[in-house]
Amino acid sequence: MNLRPSLASTAFARRDASDKLRGRTCFTVDQAYQGHLQAYLLRADVASGEILRLNVSAARQMPGVRAIVTAADAPYQFGIGVADQRLFATGRVRYKGEPLVAIAADTLEQAKAAAGAVEIDIRPLPAVIDMAAALTEGAPLVHPDWDGHEVVLEARGARRGGNLAWESLVRRGDVDAAFARPDVTIVESSFAVGRQIHMQLEPRSAIASYIDGRLHLVASTQAPWTVKNVTARALGLPASRVRVTAPAVGGGFGAKYGCTIEPYAAALAMACGKSVAIVPSRAEEMLSCPCRENADIQIRSAVTADGHIVGREAVVLMDCGAYGGEQIYLTTMTAHTLGSAYRLGSVRLVSRAVYTNTAPNGAFRACNGVYNIFALESHTDEICQAIGMDSFEFRRRNVLGDGDLGSTGQVFQGDVLGPMLDKMALLRAKDDSPLSGKSSADARHEGWLRGRATTVGTWFVFVGPSAATVNLNPDGSATLVTAGVEIGQGTMMQSLPQIVAAELGIAPAEVVVHQADTDAVGFDVGVGGGRTTVSLGAAAVAACAEIRQKVTDLASRLMQVPSSKLILTQGRVERQGHPGSGMTLASLAQEALQITGPISGNGSFTRPGVAALEGCTSGHFLEAVDIPVFAVHDCEVAVDPATGHVEVLRYHVVQDVGYALNPSAIEGQIQGGVVQGLGYALHEEVTFTSDGAICQNGFGSYRVPLAQDVIPVVIELHEGAPSIGPWGTKGAGEVPILNVGATIACAVSQAAGLRVQQLPLTPPHVLAILQGRKLPLPPDHVQAWPARPGFIPHTTKSAKVADNLKGKDRS
Amino acid sequence: MRGKLHINGEWHSFHADPATPLHRVLREQIGLTGAKDVCGEGFCGACLVEVEGEPVAACLLPVALAECTQIVTIEGLYHDPVGRRVMAALEAEDAVQCGMCFPGMVMTLTHLLKTDPTTDREKVKHALVGNICRCTGYERIVSTACRAAKAMAEADVREETA
Amino acid sequence: MIPAEALEQQTDFHHPVTVQEAVRLLAKLGTNAIVFAGGTWLMRAPAPSRHYVSLGRVAALRQLVITPETVRIGAAVTHDKLAAELQGLPGLEGLAVAAKRAANPAIRRRATVGGNLCTKEFPAADLVPALLAAEAMVKVVTPEGQANQSLLAYLDWRREAAAQNHLLVSVEVPQRAGRLLAHARLTLRRAGDYPVALISLSARPDAKNQLADVVVAVGAVEDQARRWPGLEQRLTGATADKAFAVKMAQELVADFRGREGPEVPDWYRLHVLPELLGRAMAQLQERLANGGRAA
Repeated sequence: MNLRPSLASTAFARRDASDKLRGRTCFTVDQAYQGHLQAYLLRADVASGEILRLNVSAARQMPGVRAIVTAADAPYQFGIGVADQRLFATGRVRYKGEPLVAIAADTLEQAKAAAGAVEIDIRPLPAVIDMAAALTEGAPLVHPDWDGHEVVLEARGARRGGNLAWESLVRRGDVDAAFARPDVTIVESSFAVGRQIHMQLEPRSAIASYIDGRLHLVASTQAPWTVKNVTARALGLPASRVRVTAPAVGGGFGAKYGCTIEPYAAALAMACGKSVAIVPSRAEEMLSCPCRENADIQIRSAVTADGHIVGREAVVLMDCGAYGGEQIYLTTMTAHTLGSAYRLGSVRLVSRAVYTNTAPNGAFRACNGVYNIFALESHTDEICQAIGMDSFEFRRRNVLGDGDLGSTGQVFQGDVLGPMLDKMALLRAKDDSPLSGKSSADARHEGWLRGRATTVGTWFVFVGPSAATVNLNPDGSATLVTAGVEIGQGTMMQSLPQIVAAELGIAPAEVVVHQADTDAVGFDVGVGGGRTTVSLGAAAVAACAEIRQKVTDLASRLMQVPSSKLILTQGRVERQGHPGSGMTLASLAQEALQITGPISGNGSFTRPGVAALEGCTSGHFLEAVDIPVFAVHDCEVAVDPATGHVEVLRYHVVQDVGYALNPSAIEGQIQGGVVQGLGYALHEEVTFTSDGAICQNGFGSYRVPLAQDVIPVVIELHEGAPSIGPWGTKGAGEVPILNVGATIACAVSQAAGLRVQQLPLTPPHVLAILQGRKLPLPPDHVQAWPARPGFIPHTTKSAKVADNLKGKDRS
Repeated sequence: MRGKLHINGEWHSFHADPATPLHRVLREQIGLTGAKDVCGEGFCGACLVEVEGEPVAACLLPVALAECTQIVTIEGLYHDPVGRRVMAALEAEDAVQCGMCFPGMVMTLTHLLKTDPTTDREKVKHALVGNICRCTGYERIVSTACRAAKAMAEADVREETA
Repeated sequence: MIPAEALEQQTDFHHPVTVQEAVRLLAKLGTNAIVFAGGTWLMRAPAPSRHYVSLGRVAALRQLVITPETVRIGAAVTHDKLAAELQGLPGLEGLAVAAKRAANPAIRRRATVGGNLCTKEFPAADLVPALLAAEAMVKVVTPEGQANQSLLAYLDWRREAAAQNHLLVSVEVPQRAGRLLAHARLTLRRAGDYPVALISLSARPDAKNQLADVVVAVGAVEDQARRWPGLEQRLTGATADKAFAVKMAQELVADFRGREGPEVPDWYRLHVLPELLGRAMAQLQERLANGGRAA
């Protein structure tokens, strides 16, 4: 597969740019008005409560109302790891903003007015708003009926019970012995991070119609097949009766990786037989956003004087909100983020997804990774300080290299992080001109504290099943049919047509990319985890191989040349070494119509699987990673001691990309990902009211970085690390955000000469650190050492829970 | 109310409550969906339209006050020589990602290049305080604007000396 | 097709062309009426079933007249226009900064001076402290007649029942020789969000180069902008010196009670106040060093 055809056009421009600039592109939200009913969701205004009465008969009589659906219409349970969720609060409200009723009317205003006519009586119940409360002994349970929920994704040794939605564990080697060694320094650190909201400009949105007994959803989604399957399950339909198509998507970052609002439109369309659009307002979007979860992390290490990490353990608490969703799956990732990057003599990691009475969290670019790398790298700097070793030197000595074991016992291949650190050292040296005296900005930084840090991070490509069909058209062009979606990342506009073009010897502009349609192509996991170029690319390569075979077979017959001597190049099939010989692909494709029938190819891909050490994990969905991705970040900051403002003066990235298929596109992803990370590190803060609502409700209160807050990132792409991706590519869009929180935090810590334990580093937070003010940290509800599994600190039915845990333990 | 709007050189009729923000009328009734409905509060710039030659947030402009004004939306800005230049430059520099913010970006940058041909990075960034992009990290947009300004200034010089 | 009844009208816009007509309308419509100027605040949370009296066609309100003695700013002058007109006018640089740095360009093209002063729910309006420090007078018209009052008095009066249905017509800023005005704002990002604290500082150097006629106004820290009399006293007779100003402000910062909000805790607003005053004082220092002009 490592062809890397030299004709791969690495600067292929995106074909959607012109229409996007002219305002012509029709996103889902742009199709939502003319001819469709408008949907509105009536949401609960308490965090926890018992629904005593819900009467929609008056609402049904309101002007313009065409359909109303409630819990009675959608009783089916669904979920990613555990089927703990229904479309509507059923009997019980679990978070403020949980949908109670969906209404479709001629206009949105009418639907809202009808919502006001719903008669509703909810008896408030005690709520647990944060993880500390949820894990307190005797805490009210978010799911008193947790034991009845179906476990959808089985994982060996999984534990769950009460407000603990899921627990996964990594153990390799004798950690207790490592910590008991007389020659080690033990360093303990604790951290807490808040949620992050995607703030993608196009809200999640969908248009549903019900035609000939089948649902058709036009959805702003990253994962059409997920929308299809979850909608079917939530509405009790066979999946074959749901079709999902996805037009251009106006940003996702993970917000559209799950299926969230699409089933409401679907249920309403089925109820009234008319097409129904659902487009939440920004405030609704934020109220119910599947945020990056807040997390509390404790980590400690036993390190020898010469800097060997002989033992490491950590407890990571991840808030899943009222339903398990992504976080159950994400407990698995701790092994590959917090547990990775460094050689560890022994390791024990516990990851817990915790239920709270808050809006369910979801997926967000480099899920789980950004805060675990923040914790890992801040902890690494604390280690260096404790043993008196230079932090760059410590990293250079300890990063994973060829043949080293990861936390789960996976054997890593190739020296990647070490050489990347060396490249960063060179990059820093090249760009080490003093900043002072260069610009008017320097005057502003007089008297500010300066800090600089370099961090490493490990991420991975979330490979997984993909399918692709390629048709060779009679005009010599090709059509690529996949369930991939263009969400802005450029894969569908740049890398995939580039791959197909190179494999078929045609120009990338000659490759038509079909918009995602679950009726047209096979299963796909969706756009996320940096997987699109790799998985869809590999499936497309396989489909093209079938076409090449058919083309050369037929050309061999027509040209009387052995097919092994034929190549596809510049729109022709010709004898190798005889440019201009043979025939055009167009004429061959036309000939084929009469001889073999139209030429097409099908390809598929799934993760080949990599071995972990037996017995190292429990409760895990992914024991080893097929394509690790590494990143080294470096930055310099200035901190205003008077106000706590942090300004980033330089930012450098060395990113492992495998093979840079389209450097311009990758660098665009890196600049954008780093800036989103700067938002996470410095500006973007989610807080809760005491009754469990997210305080931030718009772009005014949730502060994403603006143009003045960012700087150009100096980028070096590291090529050549091993990858099973087509042509050695790796996903490049997700990883740029990975180490930003870590790098900023370490640099601010350097500047201040103080520990940094929390993100985001907003000015008040930084000032609090500088003044030694008390922060809501360290998390005192993280379990005391040693980190051991099966700790269920709450619930009144502890004996029963313990029994159930045994029952759930599938080891 | 029923009324008429003069948009991109043509008259369009609408029927809406007078306080309805202009962008909703454009999007929901007139079919001009280039102005996006993103924040509804004037923070993000995705709904910018030119009213009487100046970019304003359509989400904060009641349709009743947009009557009797000259409105140019992003769809119409393609026919403005500076607007078209900005679009071409952003396309050539591979600046576009998801595309939701770009109609507003083009509005702001076109106005900036018209009113301040000597623009530099600092001025571009200052002008973009009300344009939020969540994908690109801005810098490529800023560089493109500066290069486009320079190219325009040079073109003007050539025209003048020709 | 959307049925017509779905588009039932909720609001009425009225378009008076004179101040008198606007005031008559406000009186007639009573509590259902609200003045609609730039709309940048009202459109974010539209009130249902309201009569909006739009000022867009009252030409008189859009005038800005500069004489040697005063700058008279019509209530419907936008931030953008105010900043442009004050460009290069010595002595009122701080007011220009307040107009030029508030919010973002598109909002500055719509948001008006009058709207900034009338919106009592908005504690972080840049122009309020800037105009307080400039000792501005405002002209108000009610059905009973017209009155001039200081902006300081107006800020309290606008909350009274008597202020219902008043129309703010203009703001008059005195131009006094040698008087300088500085404005410092602190946002959490470089710009674009509501300031967490605002300080406007006005003073003139006397013959001994000591500060006289010192006025300090603070915005965003409490629910309503106000002057800082204690600090004004301490700074009077002192030389323009950042370090001294910061020290004085630190000693007196307990004069304020910080507003708690989701964006920052109360203590933060108080803590940054002295630094912000220092920045305003540094602007004055710089201008004094440049013979009264911005560098």
